[in-house]
Amino acid sequence: MSIAGLGPHGERGAPFEQLDISEADAERARLACFRLCVVLHTTTSDWAKQALKGIAATLDVYGASLDEVVDCGFQIDTQIRALGRLTDSAPDAIISIPVGGSAVADAHRRVSRAGVKLALLDNGPTGLLPGSDYVSVISADNFGLGTIGARLLSPYIPPAGRVGILSYQADFFATNEREIAFRKWMGSERPDIRLSAIKFPDLGSLAAIFTAFLDANPDLAGLFAVWDLPAMEAVKVLAARGQCLPVTTVDLGNQAALALAAGDFIKGIAAQRAYDQGVAVAKATITSLLGRDPPSWIVLPGLATQKANVAEAYQRIWHEAPPAALCVPKAV
Amino acid sequence: MSSKPKVIRQMPKTPEGREAPSTHAGQGRRGDSERYSLVAVMELIRSGRADTRLEIERLSGLGRAVVTDRLTALIDLGLVEEGELGPAIGGRAPRRVKFRADAGRILVATLDSTTIGVGLADLAGRLRVEHYEAIDAAQGPAASLKRLDTLFDWMLDQYPEARDVWAIGLGTPVSLFNLDASGLNLDALDSAIATDKAPLTENLVARYRAPVWVRSLVQLMTIGEFGVRNEAGMSNRDFLYVDLGDEITAGLMSDGRLHRGAHGIAGQIGHIATDSSREVCRCGNIGCLELVAGAGAIVGEALQAAQDGRSRYLAEVLAANGQLALADIGFSARLGDPYCAELLSRCGQLIGKVLAGLANALNPAVIVLGGELARTGDILLAAIRETIYRHTAPVVTRDLQIIRSQMGRSAGLIGAGLLTVDALFASDRLGGWITTGTPLQHPDVQALLARVTQSRRMPPPPDPSPDR
Ligand SMILES: [Zn+2]
Repeated sequence: MSIAGLGPHGERGAPFEQLDISEADAERARLACFRLCVVLHTTTSDWAKQALKGIAATLDVYGASLDEVVDCGFQIDTQIRALGRLTDSAPDAIISIPVGGSAVADAHRRVSRAGVKLALLDNGPTGLLPGSDYVSVISADNFGLGTIGARLLSPYIPPAGRVGILSYQADFFATNEREIAFRKWMGSERPDIRLSAIKFPDLGSLAAIFTAFLDANPDLAGLFAVWDLPAMEAVKVLAARGQCLPVTTVDLGNQAALALAAGDFIKGIAAQRAYDQGVAVAKATITSLLGRDPPSWIVLPGLATQKANVAEAYQRIWHEAPPAALCVPKAV
Repeated sequence: MSSKPKVIRQMPKTPEGREAPSTHAGQGRRGDSERYSLVAVMELIRSGRADTRLEIERLSGLGRAVVTDRLTALIDLGLVEEGELGPAIGGRAPRRVKFRADAGRILVATLDSTTIGVGLADLAGRLRVEHYEAIDAAQGPAASLKRLDTLFDWMLDQYPEARDVWAIGLGTPVSLFNLDASGLNLDALDSAIATDKAPLTENLVARYRAPVWVRSLVQLMTIGEFGVRNEAGMSNRDFLYVDLGDEITAGLMSDGRLHRGAHGIAGQIGHIATDSSREVCRCGNIGCLELVAGAGAIVGEALQAAQDGRSRYLAEVLAANGQLALADIGFSARLGDPYCAELLSRCGQLIGKVLAGLANALNPAVIVLGGELARTGDILLAAIRETIYRHTAPVVTRDLQIIRSQMGRSAGLIGAGLLTVDALFASDRLGGWITTGTPLQHPDVQALLARVTQSRRMPPPPDPSPDR
């Protein structure tokens, strides 16, 4: 699996397999008893739960403690306050997923200025620099995820059909990259397809916005959502209207995985490896606490998932047995 | 105008435009001296030298009534805003004023043989958003330029404030300037505003209705590195930036000013001759540095070593991935592969020797090493450092800092923003538009837009661009 996307500063991605901590370093880490905190956009999504599991399991291996996990509820102000409070409690490191772009840059910059190591998940706010402001960004290959979403949707779209992109109206690196890549693939491989952006500021207003779009665009032939929760919101709207459209998205959340197995709406998912990403960010943080520089842009390629391989992908991504409903016969 | 300025520091030159100011669209008649005092006040505020009315009075030598009037005008034009209260020096606390960095936006881009970068900068040169993607050089420059349009369009759509585009700044390697197909040429460099001879810039002007500045990429990266270090309080006015990629290039800030060279292409140090190669370079000469120490050359050598068994580690990577990347070589070296360590160290010495020559000649305070090669790890950097120290006079290296860039490709985009804003606000140009509040109303820009519109009505060129 190759890495398609470049980093927040145009870096070529380093594969996460390159993060290797020697046994001697591991021993040094265990003696140091590092203390870490985690600040997430949300702790309720399947992605977040899995990433946390990966972080916790890895910190455990290196004798580090996870002192606190903060759920920012996607709120910029909450994140800014949490970072300030945690920095004052002087942990060795903070792992954060910035909930915005330039709006949260200063709050993150203050973490490292205070001498606390900062590792970022998925998002590098514009204006922050690796080395001085943060250790690494550990990310899914978001560009690759968008490409997978386009590739999996394309066969379902008739010539010259209209495809909607459920696009997150926020200054967010990861979702931007997915959308840009989706558009790029469609532009070069399916130039016949007409693309329409359907922008939503938050999940709460998505149903109304999408309904209005469907009313105005009866010719819609398919949909790409930049992550699984908006995709499932859109599926609810479609189901209520009795309108069946092919949908692809990113993130193999439980609901989305079940919908993919059912096969009515969700036709493909570009799956992120949340658990592995958690492992990688924990390893990168430990590496940096030991005084070594991990690469500034560490990337985990996505996994193209369709009905036929959903059970297998689930196992690989969540590191646990798939629910029975996913184990559909391969021939379907 | 009753109070004639007694002292105006850096009195702006008369604007180049021949048009009388009263011909500017939608503006009242303003006299020349009024315009000069507006420019003077604007420059004091934008440079940060003055942020209260009193300081402006003191530094400009303008009277109180004039300064108050000009400040009101600049605030009305949206170029200046009032900030918090400053410290009171006997009596009332003065209201601070500051430059409104949100008054307009700059679309910025960098384009080289492997990567396209786009961004949106404010008028302080700060990036609001940036995006990079790999380009397939085999598809030719035209495909890259089309991609540039698509990405700019996307940013305008996703960031509504991007619609206030005042100008476009574009950085590209000098080696691309002369590619006919790309439409970039040296003429575009010397005339800051696009000319008819530069189809690329003309396309951008027509599409985004704004003037375009094209500059050598390494020079923009130098401005970007310098600007960010300056803002972080690490200012070194004599500063050398070196970009170590497929090409090896450098940019020099001398006493805080960029050295551009007679044709705007200073810094082609990859074509300095070394005695370690007899190969002929694309520049036509023999033994150029980048033929042995450029990223492409290094990957080429590593590929041979992987195939003929000199590096077992690289052979394994090649077998697994079907290709080799520069990062693989750095990673292998760190894991202890002797071939890779030796290769990087040898290249570091060759680069270091050239940089030592530059350091002797230029006496920089800081050398910043950037580019993909600088990210391969400590082996190469250590070799560069050692060689520089070995081949320079001690007095040159006494306080010399040799550090690795942290900005990656962001340096180019930030530099493009800073350069373009400085060009718009250069005092001789500023006088041509300040009374309207936007450089898009500058007579030269209006003339450019009219000319581009005119030429677009002419029969299409042999290879028509897609319908816009
Ligand atoms: Zn040459």
